[in-house]
Amino acid sequence: MEELFSSLALAQESYAAAYIGILRFAVPIISAILLLRCAMPLLTFRREPEIWAWLNMTDGTQIPITHWESVIGRSKSSDVTIDFPTVSRNHAVLTRYDDGSWTISDAGSKDGTWVNGRKVQICALNDKDRISIGGVEMQLQPITQRQEARQAEIRTKAASGWDSVANLMLLSILQCLMLLGFLLNCRQEDTVSILEGFGGILICQWVLYIFYCMIHRKSFEAETMAFFLCTMGMAAIATVKPGEAVKQLAAVGLGVMTFLVIGWSLRDLERAKAVRYLATVAGVGFLMVTLVFGTEYYGAKNWLVIGGMSLQPSELSKVCFVFAGASTMDRIMSKRNIYTFIAYSILICGLLALMNDFGTALIFFCAFLVIAYLRSGSMGTVALAVTALIFAGVLALKIAPHALRRFSVWRHVWDDPLNAGYQQVQALMCIASGGLFGLGPGQGFLKHVFAADSDIAFATISEEWGLLVAVMMVLCVAAYGFFAIRTARVARSSFYTIGACTAASILVIQTILNCLGTLDILPFTGVTFPFLSNGGTSMIGAWGLLAFVKAGDTRQNASFAVRLNKKGG
Amino acid sequence: MNRVTKRTWIMGLFLLVLLGGMVFFLWEYVTQAGDWVVFSGSPHVYNNANIGCGTITDRSGEVLLDITDQRTYSSDAATRKSTLHWLGDRKGFISAGAVSHYAGKMAGFDLVSGIYSSSGEGGQMTLTLSARVQNAALEAMAGRKGTVAVYNYKTGEILCAVTTPTYDPDNAPDIASDTTGQYEGVYLNRFLQSTYPPGSIFKVVTTAAALDCVPGILDKTFTCTGTYAYGTESVTCEKAHGMLTLETALSHSCNCAFAQIAELVGKKNMVKYVEQFGVTDSLSFDGVTTAEGNYDISNTAPVSFAWSCIGQHTDLINPARYMTFMGAIAGGGVGAEPHLVARVSAGEEVTYEADTVKTDRIMSKEVAGQVRQFMRNNVRTIYGDGNFLGLNVCAKSGTSQLGGGQTSNAMFAGFVEDEAYPLAFMVVVENGGYGSATCVPVISKVLSVCKAVLDGQ
Repeated sequence: MEELFSSLALAQESYAAAYIGILRFAVPIISAILLLRCAMPLLTFRREPEIWAWLNMTDGTQIPITHWESVIGRSKSSDVTIDFPTVSRNHAVLTRYDDGSWTISDAGSKDGTWVNGRKVQICALNDKDRISIGGVEMQLQPITQRQEARQAEIRTKAASGWDSVANLMLLSILQCLMLLGFLLNCRQEDTVSILEGFGGILICQWVLYIFYCMIHRKSFEAETMAFFLCTMGMAAIATVKPGEAVKQLAAVGLGVMTFLVIGWSLRDLERAKAVRYLATVAGVGFLMVTLVFGTEYYGAKNWLVIGGMSLQPSELSKVCFVFAGASTMDRIMSKRNIYTFIAYSILICGLLALMNDFGTALIFFCAFLVIAYLRSGSMGTVALAVTALIFAGVLALKIAPHALRRFSVWRHVWDDPLNAGYQQVQALMCIASGGLFGLGPGQGFLKHVFAADSDIAFATISEEWGLLVAVMMVLCVAAYGFFAIRTARVARSSFYTIGACTAASILVIQTILNCLGTLDILPFTGVTFPFLSNGGTSMIGAWGLLAFVKAGDTRQNASFAVRLNKKGG
Repeated sequence: MNRVTKRTWIMGLFLLVLLGGMVFFLWEYVTQAGDWVVFSGSPHVYNNANIGCGTITDRSGEVLLDITDQRTYSSDAATRKSTLHWLGDRKGFISAGAVSHYAGKMAGFDLVSGIYSSSGEGGQMTLTLSARVQNAALEAMAGRKGTVAVYNYKTGEILCAVTTPTYDPDNAPDIASDTTGQYEGVYLNRFLQSTYPPGSIFKVVTTAAALDCVPGILDKTFTCTGTYAYGTESVTCEKAHGMLTLETALSHSCNCAFAQIAELVGKKNMVKYVEQFGVTDSLSFDGVTTAEGNYDISNTAPVSFAWSCIGQHTDLINPARYMTFMGAIAGGGVGAEPHLVARVSAGEEVTYEADTVKTDRIMSKEVAGQVRQFMRNNVRTIYGDGNFLGLNVCAKSGTSQLGGGQTSNAMFAGFVEDEAYPLAFMVVVENGGYGSATCVPVISKVLSVCKAVLDGQ
């Protein structure tokens, strides 16, 4: 096989040029078909309300319980509204577990929550248990196992297995076409590493898919899109630093493992809550280690060099932060929990201030805003707002002045094309040179510009593969965002909703800062593009975040992060 | 849960920023990508500060500059020197504006394909210049500073536009530490960027104005005693010319007669005609814009006004613009706007082809015909047809005084009255002394080579 490729590489130059002529159009067309096929199911799946139990009131009325976590209270925004003066605004939380059991917990109500005449903080519910909330009596009647099985049957199925195989085949064809384009144009000595890089991703995606088949999961859309982005990242590396292809491949492998591990830990809510503590500690740990042993590049102390390997542990801290921020409904309703999260956020904020890393600080700040907004019930709002202010203050006073110097050229890059605006000006020139279909693999100039495979990777891809493909990469990330919003309505627990939304937000924000920074629409911050940019920790972090997005997918047989119902399976 | 679900819209904000930002960028791409790709230093189009993709040839196909890889100039040293200011140097001190203007066309840029070329070949640009004429002009300048320019007033093609001093880019002298002054203003393209006091060549403007606005001017006579007094000040000639008509006043370049003609025309009319003829306007072609001239007679004494009609006072003209004025007279009141780039192709596709752009009508056919006849008379009776074998040349010389003890600039402007050789020209030799004596030999050589080049086509 390798001999075949090397002999092809030696073929006439005109032969290579003719091939590029076709490739320029083939890549955007295949990518568009692939991404449409992947994104459509994520954006259009039916979100049918599911009833998990009934609340039988004494007057004979039945109130359907449509979530695994439901707030009962007087407030109109409660899941179960009981408009009775003695009921608190947020009175109690009903929670369903994987095994079908239910608990009720008090949400700091004035009159307390009573079960069988006993005042309880949290209490497992059995059949016929009498619940009393503010003097209103009710009984919980979970649906039967048969009903549950029926519900699973009619639930929107994840894409059929054949769809996923077809998508993967398309992606594989794309990878082979791109690989061949590189082999025809690259230097002899880079042939092997480029071959290993592209081939490795191809194998990696099929191995993961076969593993999915083994555990009866069929949805592979989000993963296919991630592999598409990884492939484009590999294309950037193949042209900029072909020697690092294998390293990046290893990062993809580690990323996929992280994805599986986090997905597994999210699968069981109780396990997730346990892992959460570990992640919380790790998140701070990563930052502290960087601060103590880290190396300063360009004024930001965010690199850790271990035995020749450069790591950016703050990328992993993002994943931990999502863990720390996600929370179940009953905990959201408790004051103590919010204060813990606030204290944690302030600690993170302080560490980032010491590191002087503006880009990362901005991402954490936005992630904090998302978590804070999603969580803040009536009681936490003020406290969270204050914390947000502190966060913003530190950002503005401590880190921004240092970063401002780099921002001075924002929207003025053409006035300083050789110094402060160099990367953006080169990026824009090369994007224009590439047009919609690109100049072909290895034909770009941006590879000579600093950070062509990371900070301005968007432009590198645009130059060689065309603006259409580059825009599709952005749409990929946007699709994750829309998906996270859509799944929220059918999410089983607020833990998953908060996790998916925060993780997707981080992916989207990184894309915003990376792309719009490169294009001089926002200040240039040097943040990585998820899955695309060359960088091991960034790749692992992106896969970790994807696990949270995936965990929100409740379609039948969709996500390994959601446990299959034994009978519904 | 409802509450958390509803709040997920906050993510929509980020999505809005991302997608809005991308839409904004696409809009910028559609409206500005053409500028980005030809911005100085654009890696696929430029080589350092000057255009860097393809080859540039003269009108006969002789390669002046090959930039497919590095900047390789002509193999002929004289050609390298005579064309340097249009091609640009290696370090970017001399910016080749006209050539760079077509960088995008040469790279074959369009919004869909970028600069991708299916044939893989670089662009090709053909200039209207003739290397042969350029070299002849450079040689005729004989190391003096100034400019020689010739263009076809019917098509607008610039056959020759040499500016001196110049140097050989393949053998660049140490200009920064030169103390002899021989490289003073070497990075300047005098044809485009300089303005000069016109001296007597400006009398053509006054003559045309008088012909148009003074009734019976052809029947009037003017007496020159050597001085024409305005109180304590006066306009002077080198000798007393005696009695002159408008025609002989122009051929003898009599200052005293023109002082009287100026009075007949009047200040208001003079300003009107200078504006109408456009002699002080800047001229734009191929993306370059020439320096603006000057004609300012507000708050001037009568003697200064008289001098302004003789091309002194604060008058300034730009060589390219004045050459175009000559072209308009030659063309009967309408000439062609000059241009330097004839054709640009990217790969096999022709991406630009110059069109002849006519100037506005600046004077009536009758006035233009009369001025042409006068200028023809100048050559016949004063400069000598023998200097221009086989060509009917119409011209006016000028010796513009500079003050400060400097030797005058020698100026010469005119055109060939011949369907086969429709050429207008302009010569400036800085500190060259007497106009016709200095310039006639220069333009005589250049025009004969121009004729040979046109004959050879």
